[in-house]
Amino acid sequence: MKPILKIVDLHVNVEGKKILNGINLEIYAGQIHAIMGPNGSGKSTLASVLAGKSGYEVTKGQIIFLDKNLLELSPEERAREGLFLAFQHPIEIPGVTLINFLKTAIEEIYKHRGEEPPSAAEFLRLIRSKKEILEFDLKLENRSVNEGFSGGEKKKNEMLQLAVLNPKLAILDEIDSGLDIDALRQVANGINKIKNKENAFLLITHYQRLLDYVIPDHVHILYKGQIIMSGNHNLALDVEQKGYEWIKKNETV
Amino acid sequence: MPTITKNTLLTKENFIRILENNGQPLANENIQNTSQQAIQKHSLPNRKMEDWRKTSLKKLLEHHFQYGKKLEIQRHFIERFNISGMYSNLLVFVNGYFIPTLSRILDKNDIVVFSNLAEAKKLFSSKFNEYFNRTQSHEVNLFSALNTRYASDGAFIWIKENVKVQYPIHIYFFSEGQNQKIISQTRNLIIAGKGSKASILFSYHPLSTDFMYNNTVSEIFVEHNAYLDFNIFQGEGYDSFHTNLVKVELENQAQFYSHTITLCGKIMRNDIHVKFNGTDAYAELNGLTMPEHDQIHDNTLFIHHKSGGSISRQFYRNIVENNARSVFYGKILIDKGAKQSQAYQLNNNILLSSSAKVHSKPHLIIYNDDVAASHGSTTGQLDTEALFYMQTRGISKKKAQTLLLQAFANEVLNKIQIEIYKFYVKTLVRKRLQGEKVEMLCAKLGQCRLEPEFEA
Repeated sequence: MKPILKIVDLHVNVEGKKILNGINLEIYAGQIHAIMGPNGSGKSTLASVLAGKSGYEVTKGQIIFLDKNLLELSPEERAREGLFLAFQHPIEIPGVTLINFLKTAIEEIYKHRGEEPPSAAEFLRLIRSKKEILEFDLKLENRSVNEGFSGGEKKKNEMLQLAVLNPKLAILDEIDSGLDIDALRQVANGINKIKNKENAFLLITHYQRLLDYVIPDHVHILYKGQIIMSGNHNLALDVEQKGYEWIKKNETV
Repeated sequence: MPTITKNTLLTKENFIRILENNGQPLANENIQNTSQQAIQKHSLPNRKMEDWRKTSLKKLLEHHFQYGKKLEIQRHFIERFNISGMYSNLLVFVNGYFIPTLSRILDKNDIVVFSNLAEAKKLFSSKFNEYFNRTQSHEVNLFSALNTRYASDGAFIWIKENVKVQYPIHIYFFSEGQNQKIISQTRNLIIAGKGSKASILFSYHPLSTDFMYNNTVSEIFVEHNAYLDFNIFQGEGYDSFHTNLVKVELENQAQFYSHTITLCGKIMRNDIHVKFNGTDAYAELNGLTMPEHDQIHDNTLFIHHKSGGSISRQFYRNIVENNARSVFYGKILIDKGAKQSQAYQLNNNILLSSSAKVHSKPHLIIYNDDVAASHGSTTGQLDTEALFYMQTRGISKKKAQTLLLQAFANEVLNKIQIEIYKFYVKTLVRKRLQGEKVEMLCAKLGQCRLEPEFEA
């Protein structure tokens, strides 16, 4: 079986400064991976590079996404191929309603696949069904994207978009930040429901608490731009108990 | 016919010769004399003048214009410009001449008077004499003086006391050069009587692609407690020119709203001057321009708080492409006695190329302390973070830009009060942002059902 995502020896500079320093990672369908690390370890850089944000210089290495060279694709092509990034800080877009935004996205993705986009009625049914699955009791559709949303609403909106766009690989960049315990449970519950044998998740998080509700198959510790340790979900518990200082000490040994 | 040799620019004398002797002037002898003196006094607007500093008329002056002809236009020709689904009282002018056979009155004529001004001058001579040029419109610039002196027709709308006009009043101004470069002049007079309410739309369209120049003056009087919603739609041709002066006077508790939508035209200059004669009145001026290539779209506003206790708001947005230029010049004058006046101004601009230009100039002159006034101006490019966010959802960069620009424009367009017209303009703007030509679109849209934008 081929991996959905394969990162080989990835080096990335930002404004001439080395941020990622030889990342290797393989993610297969049906898996949940978690990347943990202290602030400044390169977690968000990795998410941004995968999504195709400009300003990041790949100096070495490659990324294969579903047999394609990811780095040659534009951000929208990556999304249409099935990559999704839930933003740590979702962007407000005044004047563009969420419903119009999602409809446009769905249309572009279907067009890319050569399929007929859903009709307006089908599309509305799709949104409704995803909200039911996520157990979100939110009326965000007719509001401008993220504008005036609370922190929790923004993260739930990311989850709703994820559910509607149905990607092969979902990268969740600190989806747990700024959430109270109820919202955290709801978001985690959403991940567990959306997850299936065909797709995969990459959770990027600073804290372990999300991983109480979503059990990852693999946990990786990112430190100074490298994955210095990998293990099962017990590794996350170790980090929680001993803190990142423990890792740092281990690394220097 | 004036003789103009190639490569020379039109002069004041050329304009006078083109505009004189085209029908009986509306102005009576007195006003003809005062405006004649004003013509002598004014020079052609040039960039040494404070309010023409950023708008050069060179591209207008290099054409050999003649006065537009009176033409018989077939109904089907103009029906292409219908706003689908809008039932309105219609007045139709072609090259400044009134075409009664194409006009249509839905509201009862005895409570509202819609007519051409030349006719109104005969039928309602006391009303005409009371209001015509009461705003001293000849004082503004050479073009307004020429209009006051020579204009021979235009629209007359008189809404009598306490009348609420049910249907919008839509005045079409078409231009047709028949392969000639032409000038048309119209002179309009609107009187919104005490306690009345109405929506008016002036729309300008070309019937051919000739070089055409409209010189328009409109006087608007909004009397005690009257409510007037006034729309200007400029869907003129790519090579059209327009100098458009709107003089508004508001009495106690009057409300005036204007929406100026400029989607095309080589040089489009709108002057809207609002004077508060009374207290507790409200004026809101909104506008959108979208110049492209080498076009110049200029909105020059002058709000005069002559008496206190009134509120004015200006909200203009410009989307500027290629080498085009938008000018926003918003002048607010609050007199010494005009206590507790409130004046607000906001101008936002998006530049779509590195050679696009915006000139945004607020100008507040305030002669007393007891006022609230503010102004704001922003100019920038599209939000790159928002573009990236949309791209990560599979939306192409081009489409994401269109969505953002649409949203930017919609904040102004959503203030339009005639629902079906608002929908029409939003559709046009959307299609224009998708790269279609507006002057073609207006002719095309009249014939098809407007596709609604998706809304849940």
